[in-house]
Amino acid sequence: MKNKLKEPVYILGVGCTRFGNLLETPEIKGLTLQEMAAEAVKEALDDSGTDPSEIDAIFVGNVTMHTSTLPATYSQIAKWTGMQFKAGVHIDGACSTTNIGITLGAMGIASGVYRKVLVVGLESTLSQPKKLSPYDRETIPTEEMWLWTDYCVNQAYSVPQGYDIFPTYNGIIAQAYCKKYGISIEEFEKGMFELCRTRRLHGSMNKKAIIQETLEDEAKRLGFDDPYEFWISNYNPFLAWPSRLRSAVSAADGASAIVISSEEGIEDAPNLPIEVKGWGVTISDLPWYEEDPTYMHYDTLSFEKAYDMADITSEQIDYLHVHDCSHISSICTAELSGYLPKGEGLKYAEAGRLRFDGDRPMSTHGGRHAFGHAWAASAGADTYEAVKQMRGLCGDRQIKKAPKISVIHTHGYAMVSTVMVYGRR
Amino acid sequence: MPKSIIRGYYEDLEQKKLNGKKCRKCDKITFPPTAMCEHCGSRDVEAFKLSGEGELLYVSHSMAPPPNPRFNKLAPYAYGHVRLEEGVYVQAIINGVGIDPESLMEYYQKCPLKVVTDIIEAEGLSILAFKVK
Repeated sequence: MKNKLKEPVYILGVGCTRFGNLLETPEIKGLTLQEMAAEAVKEALDDSGTDPSEIDAIFVGNVTMHTSTLPATYSQIAKWTGMQFKAGVHIDGACSTTNIGITLGAMGIASGVYRKVLVVGLESTLSQPKKLSPYDRETIPTEEMWLWTDYCVNQAYSVPQGYDIFPTYNGIIAQAYCKKYGISIEEFEKGMFELCRTRRLHGSMNKKAIIQETLEDEAKRLGFDDPYEFWISNYNPFLAWPSRLRSAVSAADGASAIVISSEEGIEDAPNLPIEVKGWGVTISDLPWYEEDPTYMHYDTLSFEKAYDMADITSEQIDYLHVHDCSHISSICTAELSGYLPKGEGLKYAEAGRLRFDGDRPMSTHGGRHAFGHAWAASAGADTYEAVKQMRGLCGDRQIKKAPKISVIHTHGYAMVSTVMVYGRR
Repeated sequence: MPKSIIRGYYEDLEQKKLNGKKCRKCDKITFPPTAMCEHCGSRDVEAFKLSGEGELLYVSHSMAPPPNPRFNKLAPYAYGHVRLEEGVYVQAIINGVGIDPESLMEYYQKCPLKVVTDIIEAEGLSILAFKVK
């Protein structure tokens, strides 16, 4: 593999809806998926100063077509966004989808075929079309959503034999982490509490997050003066022992969009272009780990490829987001990336070092728990936050010194490990 | 008529047999079996019978209802990470392990533990499961 871009590629603009519930959340309530996607696209076009006529190709992603009923997103989202007669395709890299779209678009640009590409991700994980209505939706049971989402997992042997994401991606990894680093279960609980507190703080400062209530405020609302007592109460049960419910994903509806461009397209950009310096993509079916559940080999490969293409080392990273459907898995990945020292992640969380104002800021949008997770749209939301942080536009949660190098990692179920390296010029 | 590898795997389980494949090129085991060696892509593979014995490394559970209706009657269940004695790693239901925090803490402290296959039926399909020896 040559692993080099022949020409530089830039993110010109980003868009992202609020993540929430299409049946409840004011900013997206009542919208269809076409309309929600169009909201994200309009923001990205405005942010990049791009007219739809300048776009050469669109890559549109969606994972659970059972809730979208849109397997042919390319033509339908094109019609809703003024992109008819472009090149286009529907893509699905599960929770890595939008960033996979950036890699495909970047290769199209760096090869000289395209000048500007639009990437879109859209997802509803909470509702489906009501009967045959083109606009009314109805809630779906959580287990049904997971049944459809688990279509991304080994269907020959794992799913038919009792596979469940929560023990595989939470409980077993948590136990292994504690044993590996000599951390007691009580210490683990406190570390996870602090990590959730950080993510919820970030979510409370982000108007696009699905949960904008701090953990402390939620505890108070439910009658607890001490938020840690709330953490270990029945309000926060074990999702997969020893991991608790609030150390995991909050399923959401949402859409994100990104406009990427060749160098010749950045001259008139109204906002600071961000360079796509490199990436690494690696796939793996189950088992995701062997003797050591804290170590996922394919992530190592993705980070190596990304750092090599971008010509950086982990010491240069100013901002990191790693896939955090499972908070303990995210700590393992952050340590694997070199951003945090091995076995120290929870201590860093307890010391506040992972906050937006800490020395190792992570997931300042709130991550999968507080910002929420709308499968195909989420990687784009992570990129959205990185771009805004690098431009210094994140308001109260702005990292003091705007990052020069940001790294975004996602686990697309199950698995396509994707690492993106973005650089500020 | 070609025979489905997947069908064969489950039919073997019904007979209490764990069958995979061993690669003549890289010498590694593919279990459960696939069309080519999962490690190197070689087609030069032979049938390989696994003992069904191994070690339980970790065991946890899920608080959520099982997404797959096949497990409605079996859930809730303990789900563990197992190293088979042939060096293959699998995850499966662990029979006889309670899913309350106290039981799981006990197993967390005691693991690794010797386990042996304990095939169960889930809505007419024989599936891989284990029990502690």
